[in-house]
This record gives sequence, structure tokens and C-alpha cells, in this order.
Amino acid sequence: MTAEAPQRTSDEAVKEARRLSRKARRRKYLGWAGIYLILIVFAFAMVFPFVYMFFTSLKDSSDVFTYPPRVLPYEPRTIDVEGEQLPLFAIEDEGGETRSMVLVESGIKAGVFAREGDLENTIAVPLEFAVDTGRTITVEGEELGIYTVTFGGETEDLVLIRNTAVGLFVDPDDPEVVGYAVVRTAIPAEQITARWSNYDEVLGIRDFDKAITNTVLITVLVMGGSLFTSIMGGYAFARMRFPGRDQLFVTYLGSIMIPFVVLIIPLFQIVVALNWNNTLASLVWPFIYTAYGTFLMRQFFVSIPVDLEEAAFIDGASRWRILWTIFVPLSWPAIATLAVFMFLYAWNSFIWPLVVIDAGNTESFVLTLALSILGGQGADQPQLVFAGVAMAVIIPLVVFAMAQRYFVENVASSGIK
Amino acid sequence: MTQADTTITTEPSTTSKSQPTWLIGIVVWQVILALGAIGLAIGMITGAVFDLRGVGLVLAVALALIVAFYALYSIPRLLAHRNAGRTMSTLLNYTLLVVFTVAALQVMEIFRGIDAVATNFRDQWQWSLIIIVGFLIYSQAYRFKKQEKTVQRVGRWVMIGGVAILAIALGLIPGTIEFLRRLIQPDALLLAGLAAASGVAFWLLRRHEATVLFETTVDQAEAVDGYLFVSPNVFGFLAFFAFPLIFSLFVSFTAWDGLTEITWLGPDNYIEIFSIQFATLGEGQAASDVLSTGYSQAFRFGDVIMGARDPNFWIGMRNIIFFALIAIPLATFPALFLAALLNSKIPGMKVFRAIYFIPYVAGLLGVLLIWKQLYNASIGFINYGILRLFDGINAVTGANITAPQPEWLSDPNFAMWSIIIFFAWFMTGYNAVLFVAGMQGIPESLYEAAEIDGASWWKKFRNITVPLLRPTTFFVVATTTILGLQIFTEPFVLMGPQLPPSGPNNSTLTPVVQLYQEGFQRFNQGYASALAWVLFIFIFGITLLYFWRQRRNEEAGL
Repeated sequence: MTAEAPQRTSDEAVKEARRLSRKARRRKYLGWAGIYLILIVFAFAMVFPFVYMFFTSLKDSSDVFTYPPRVLPYEPRTIDVEGEQLPLFAIEDEGGETRSMVLVESGIKAGVFAREGDLENTIAVPLEFAVDTGRTITVEGEELGIYTVTFGGETEDLVLIRNTAVGLFVDPDDPEVVGYAVVRTAIPAEQITARWSNYDEVLGIRDFDKAITNTVLITVLVMGGSLFTSIMGGYAFARMRFPGRDQLFVTYLGSIMIPFVVLIIPLFQIVVALNWNNTLASLVWPFIYTAYGTFLMRQFFVSIPVDLEEAAFIDGASRWRILWTIFVPLSWPAIATLAVFMFLYAWNSFIWPLVVIDAGNTESFVLTLALSILGGQGADQPQLVFAGVAMAVIIPLVVFAMAQRYFVENVASSGIK
Repeated sequence: MTQADTTITTEPSTTSKSQPTWLIGIVVWQVILALGAIGLAIGMITGAVFDLRGVGLVLAVALALIVAFYALYSIPRLLAHRNAGRTMSTLLNYTLLVVFTVAALQVMEIFRGIDAVATNFRDQWQWSLIIIVGFLIYSQAYRFKKQEKTVQRVGRWVMIGGVAILAIALGLIPGTIEFLRRLIQPDALLLAGLAAASGVAFWLLRRHEATVLFETTVDQAEAVDGYLFVSPNVFGFLAFFAFPLIFSLFVSFTAWDGLTEITWLGPDNYIEIFSIQFATLGEGQAASDVLSTGYSQAFRFGDVIMGARDPNFWIGMRNIIFFALIAIPLATFPALFLAALLNSKIPGMKVFRAIYFIPYVAGLLGVLLIWKQLYNASIGFINYGILRLFDGINAVTGANITAPQPEWLSDPNFAMWSIIIFFAWFMTGYNAVLFVAGMQGIPESLYEAAEIDGASWWKKFRNITVPLLRPTTFFVVATTTILGLQIFTEPFVLMGPQLPPSGPNNSTLTPVVQLYQEGFQRFNQGYASALAWVLFIFIFGITLLYFWRQRRNEEAGL
């Protein structure tokens, strides 16, 4: 055996390994690209409705029913000509070039003309540029006059098919350049706009602003109340021994399974008996107790080591103090999770307010109710509906953005445990 | 509570022990309480106080008698200085403190004060920004190393100041005056007095002196503390869950419009729901010719007609089963794949996860209003997208297919599909995030071992991720099902207000929609309660089925 043979193979092996690793790396990046592509497609599907909603909320009422549908808000461009705001259009001038021109005069009597041999291609020319030749031709049983038309520097005999009215358009930069076109079918020049006044208008709709402040108030109360009861109950279930504790806890767990619709009729009757119907009180008090929240807090408290509180016990601290000074500061992730959960629950509840609040009592509306009414009334004004939706959506999104660090990880895992 | 005193001695209470004055006071209070409760019970039975009848009367009398019983039952144990007496009396007085306080506040209509606060909040909400600023200062204090404590303190005081200003702006002072004014009425004063008496008794029993007198052990004290800690929860549970649940079961056996007298029916509501009949149509016969009176057609299969006393129930069931069979796989399987991608170790996944969560966070109602516009048949983006898609296909293949442009929300064949598509869109991101959380519990070493064996991405997904993710999958599918079987807001918003939530030709009539229509539009609350219970048992049965399959999988070692 020579010394060269293994040397050579190892060289080859290194080359081979490099080649493979290059290949692996290329495959890895290709894989990444594929993953990103799929994720971006789904992200687009998730976000598009919101983008559409936001831009539509800034549209002018004349811009919402366009076809084909478009996302960005546009408004007709106007230009200041001698102190007057005149609308701009994209018009072919006499030379056949497309320019932005302003409409100066409309309702000019004009004719639709065509060449004798080719009646399909028509042109609209004001009658002042046409002179009747007196000749006529008959097309499909109809007698049509022939005119000498001088237009765009050319003179030609054309057939007058029918009468119409056109507008006179002028290039604002060069008043010498003029064009004629039918105003109805002229393409208006547009620019991107943002009508923030839609938001003011929605806030001005009867008690919509009250619906927002009502919802904020109710959400804060439900959040605060349910956090308090859940922390207290969760601590008792996690750390204190009392007869009947485990049976009670199992009952709680079972109660999570029961759908709300089973309770809705008796709860409605309770609310009526307490004279709370049609009030915001009915949206708060029944919801400050939550079996799910108690369960969530209990699961978190159980995981806190026992030695932490034992030292405090020896120092003679009461359970109340231990709970609020040791357990609560340690449990921010769980508390934030529960807070966001209760926030979303209170902010978005719909069927219960729909049942207890009368449709006419806008003073006691919450956002979901106000939106549902707005969505019905404003079906022909989607820009206003979407301005309302944007306001309703932005607050939970901000709350979520602040708490998402805890929320996404925790909700998920606590639900599964 | 009775578990606490398992050894009841039959000896007469020892009179030789000297009784402290406060204990005598408690005993006297409990005697008065018991007599009052018995008097109240008698009054209610004879109709002298409150105007209660039927079940309400039985319940109220039972509660009064229970109070009287415990008040008397604990007296000999209190006098014998036995801890069981202390426990019982503490809990009794605490419960009464809460009950009387709540009753007093209710009589004074304080709970409805939220509405008055809300009226002020409309104009004064900006003060709450001070609290938020304080919170931000407090939460960012950790950024300042040396002055952390000072910054925290500043934040705390800003928050406290904000709360104080907001409270005053929301009418704390006129509110307090109003509170006192309402307190000075006979009913409120009586209840407040009773609450105060129970409160004093409760406080006396909680003192250290009582611990010494009754020789309470640490464990016994802990039990009482435990009850007190869960009490806010238990009161809520009893008032807003347990009682309504039982009440709802009771109502489901009655005919009730929610206002006038309840009529006991027995199982008639349930019989009404489940009465069906099959008949075959002859030549030129209408459904009404072959079905018995009271029955109308629910479905028709060729010549066979299925009639039911309540066809809406069966239509709702058919609709929801159709919905569940399609929407639930659509809302879970794509989410599982997305989660597998989101779980890869490449940058940017957190951003995608947050984006996928947006629909769920934004709230059902707003999102539905957006989709209602997207579904618009003539100018909506969905039909426009379909049109462009078919244009593209036609351009590439040279075919000439006309793009379908369905009337999503008003065509009976498409209405339920529009809800299905929406539901899948709404749940996919949320479910994907749940799946990712589950995947993070799968040990990395398993994937590494598979990679050494040269397993492909698909193989790893199929043979490691899917089987180890079973518990998560179970949770996700179960919660999606429970949610999906109760859809109401989707049909209500998408179909309304032009159409009722039951949609064109009842095509989006779901069980909860039927329940809403029966209970709150026709006010057949007895019948609606029966529908609710049937739906509950249906959902419960399906959940049990899932549980059973999950259990079997676990036993099979999966």
C-alpha cells in the first residue's frame, strides 16, 4: 500500500463533502423560500380584508361602488382655474394625444359622425364645425345627412349618425389646446385621497361615540372583576385545603363545557327580575365570575414553588398579603393572558347584548350592537360602516400588540395543559 | 361544612365555662336571625310577605329554613367552644353579610349605577389616559437601573392620581350623596342593618381572641380561609351558572312567554321537537295530504317525505351538520400545515404568528361586516377574484369557461358556503397558533434522529409531528367543533338585515338561530329552553365521542 492512496481519497472526500454541503445549503434556502411563499400567501389572505376595510373607510361616497372593485381611495382631481375649482379629465385632444384637461363648458350641441364606408368608427364633433352638404344616404332604411366637417386641421365629408352633446375641455397649462368629448363617458382624472371626515361622520351618528365609551367601561369592569375573582379562587384551589375543594373544582371544570346558549334564557329572566334589563349593568355583573379564568390561574399558581410562601408564612404574613405580594407579581404572564382573554370576550360579546338591550336604546349600546345596526343602515354607505369597523378593531389590536408577548405563547399552552 | 364536625358529642353544652360577652351577643343575634327566618318562611307560605308561588315559593322557604337551621344548630357548639360552631357561624354570618349587602344595594339600585357612570364617562373618558400614562411609566421603570424604585413610585402615584381624578370626574361626590340619600329608606336601612349585624358577628368570630377561645388549629383556620377566598367565585357560580342552569332545565318542561304565568307541560316540548313522520307521496298529492295534522314537511327524498311537528329543528340540524362536516376540517387541517411551517427554525416566524392571530383578535362582528362587503355579488372582491382567475385560466388554456358569479348571500345554495368559508378563514390562524404551541412540546431530539436516517420533511411531519400532536389536535378540533355548532353571529350579520338570520329559504337556519327566534322573537321561552338542552346534549355527546376516541388512542400507545 502506498501512502498516496488514502491521501487522494480524503481529498476527494473533502471535495465531495463540500459539493454536498453546497447542495444542502442550496436546498435549505430553496426550502426557506418555499415556506416564506406559503406563509406570505396565507398572511395576505389574513390581512387583505383589513387593508380593504381601512382604505374603504377613507373613500368618498361616489367611489365605493366602482367596478372593477379597487382598494385605494380615489377622488376626482380638480384644478384651480381663475379662482374656480374645475374637474380634470383624461381627454384626447385634437391632435389625438391623451392629456389632462379641465371641463370648461358642457352641453355643446354636437353630432356623432362617421365615414360613409365605415359607420362603426364614430367621432363626436360640435355642430359648429360641420356644414350641411344637403346630400343624404340611406342606411338600413334610415336617411342620414352628409356634412363637411373641419376638425383637427382636416376637412372631410362625414355622415351624421345622430345628435349628442359634448363638453369643451381645455388644457389648463396651454389654453390653446382644446378637446371635445361626451362628458358622461369621459374618464375623470383621479388622485389618491383620504377622507378622514368619514370618521367624524360615524362618531356623529346617534350615540356611536357613547357605544365606544360604554364598551371601554364595560370591558374594563368585566376584566377587573373577573381577574379579581379568578385570582382569589385560583389561589384557594391551588394552595388551600378545605373540605369539598376537589369536588368543587371538578364541577367548575365541567361547567366550562356547558354552552352559553343554555344559560341565555334563565339569565335573561334573572336580569328582568332584578330590573337590569336594558341597562349596562346586565352586561357586567353576570360576567365577573369565570370558571375558565379560575382554572387558568389555578394551573399557574400550582406551578409556583411552595418554599417561596413558606418564608413569608414564618414571618407571620397573612394569606391575603402572600397572594398579592408574592403570587400576583410572579404570575404576570398568566394574568396578562387572562386579561386579554376577558378583554376579547367582553369587547366582542354580541348575542347577550342583542338579547338584553332594546334596539331603540342607543344610549346603552355597545360597539357590537352599534356596528350591527350601522351595518344594516349603512349598506349603501360602506365607507361609513368601515370607518366604524376600523374604530372598533383598532383598540383590541393595540391591546393585543401590547400583550402578545404573553398571550400567543400562554393562551395556547394553558389551553392544552 | 358538615364534614368539619364529624364527632358530635351528645353531652349538654357545658354551662360551667364562662362565656365572654361578645359570644353571648353572637348567640343572641343568631336566635333573632333564626326566629326572623322562620317568621319569614311562615309569612311567605301564608302569602303575607312577598308574592311568590310555585317553585319560587318552595325555594325561598327552603332557603329561609336552611338559614334558621344553621343559626340554631351552631349555637350549642358555640357555647361549648367547639371549633365546628365557630366555622359554621363564621360562614353563616359571612354569607348573610354578602346576601344582605347585595340585597341592600339592589334595593338602592346601586348596581344600575354603571349606566350613570357610563353617561359621565362619555364626556370625561380622557382622564383615564392619565392612568395609562402612569401604567406606562411604571412598566418601563426597569429601563432605569438606579432610579428604578423612584420611577416606579412616580408611575404608581400618577396612576393613583389618575384614578382619583377619573373617579371625581365620573361623579364620585354626587354619587356618594345620592348613595346616602337612597340609604335612608326603610327597606335599604333594614337590609343594611342586617348586613351590619352579620358583619359584626363575622368580624368578632375572625379575631385572634376567638382563635384562642375555640382552640382552632391551623388546618381548621385554613379551611375557613379557603372558603372565604373561593367565595366571590362560588357566589358568582351559584347566581349566574348553577341556578340558571337548573332554572333552564325546569323552564324547558313548561310553556312560558317570559312574562305571564308559567304552565307546566311535562315532556311535551321535547316530544314536539322529536316528533317525525315518514310518508310516501302518491300521484298529484301534496305533502299536507299524506302527513298527519300538526306535521309539515322537513325534507323530501324523491317520493318519500319526512314530516315533523317542528321542521325548523330538523332543518337546523341538517344545516349545522353539513356546516360542521366541511367547516371543521377546513378550519383545522390547513392550520396544522401552517403550524408545521411556522414551527421551522427560520427568522420571521413570530411576525407571521402575530399576523395570523389578527382576525381572531379584531373581533367577529367587525370582520363579518368586512366580509359581507367582500361577498357582494356585483362589486365584491371575491366574485371579482373568481372572474380574474377564470380569465387567467381561459387565457392560458384557450378555453372559454364562463366564470361563476354566485349571489353568495342571497342564493340558498351558496349562503351556507359563505359562512363555511368565513369560519375557516376566521379560525385558521388561531388554530395554527395553538398547534405551534403544541409542537414546541415535541422533543427536538426525535427530529434530529429522523434527519440522521434521512427522513424527508413529509416523513417527519407524518410520523413524528402528527402522532405526537394528538392531544393538541384533540383540543383544537374539540373547541372548534363546540364553537362551530353554536354559530349565530355569522348568519345574523352576513344575512341581515335584508334577510332574517335563517337566510334565504332557511339555508342558514342553525340551532342557535332557531333558539334566538323562538326565545326572543316569538317569546316561546319554554320551547327555546328545550331546544337549548337538546343542543347542549348534542354538543356534549360529540365531545364525549372525541374524548372516547382520544382515550382509545392513548391506550393504543399513540
